[in-house]
Amino acid sequence: MASVNAQIKRGSAELAVLTLLAEHPLHGYEIAKQIEEQTGGVLRFDMASLYPMLHRLERKSWVNAQWQILPNGRRRRCYQLTASGRKQIAPLRAQWRAFFRALQSVTGFQNA
Amino acid sequence: MPNWQQVVRKKFGVLGICSPEFAEELAAHLEDRYEALRCEGLSAEVAFQHTMGQIEGRRRVWLVIRFLQEELMSGFITKIALPGLLTYAAACVFYRALALNCIQPRVIWLLGGQLPLWWWCLLPICGTLGAVLSQRKGRSRRQRMAAVLFPSAILGTSVLMIFVVGFTISGFVNHYQLVFARLESLGIEPPGFGLIPAAFSLLGAGIAEIGTKKSRLA
Repeated sequence: MASVNAQIKRGSAELAVLTLLAEHPLHGYEIAKQIEEQTGGVLRFDMASLYPMLHRLERKSWVNAQWQILPNGRRRRCYQLTASGRKQIAPLRAQWRAFFRALQSVTGFQNA
Repeated sequence: MPNWQQVVRKKFGVLGICSPEFAEELAAHLEDRYEALRCEGLSAEVAFQHTMGQIEGRRRVWLVIRFLQEELMSGFITKIALPGLLTYAAACVFYRALALNCIQPRVIWLLGGQLPLWWWCLLPICGTLGAVLSQRKGRSRRQRMAAVLFPSAILGTSVLMIFVVGFTISGFVNHYQLVFARLESLGIEPPGFGLIPAAFSLLGAGIAEIGTKKSRLA
């Protein structure tokens, strides 16, 4: 599978993470794992991309993080989408949709 | 099972980017990764090597850079540039007001008057007031430091450029005189210029710090 340019990946990361967290709270490793699995390995976030971004989203109050004890007794910092974060998803999706439409009109690229 | 918290502290503790909370979060990530690899059937040693690969070499450098970048560049204008520059501007105005009233600051020559390096050393202090005030809004120590260093970085670069230009034009013999002439033509009088703004900033920083402590006690 072709790998994705770093710039595009960075731009799409926030949308991917917010969309995942809209379903249920997750901790950092789960976020990275689920994104990798759901995209068949095309989008892969290492620690250097993931945690600074999660902390940035937290500073923007789009997500909040809380330490939770998992059923296996381990402490994990779980990220949960806030109301403010939920409001960002629709505009971000619209931006990306507009971007893909523009790209499509230039390149003739069609969705699979 | 390796002690991942210890590993993270060893890798990032010296660099000062790791708060205990962040260290624990990174350690948790590594622990999950290690266990996943073990579940895939890798031996403990291989799984450990693979996991360590996430925080070694260029990935380690990249993590440090990205973390600092995120922290310092978020709201750079409001958190770092403006506090630093406004404080410095206020200090300069104060100094000018004193000079207009013929209260000239005392001149201290530490390097025989040839190289005002000590003046450069004083410049970082000029950002202190804004930086300490910014602390009250929850900004981190690194951001305060960046705010403190920002005006001096700009001025230091400017003065360095003047030095380079002066050196290029006049050669080894008289470039110091040329540099001083250039600085004076820009309205920068090195010896006194540094002391009063520095004192002013320190005073402001002290007041802000006392205010912060009082509000904490209350």
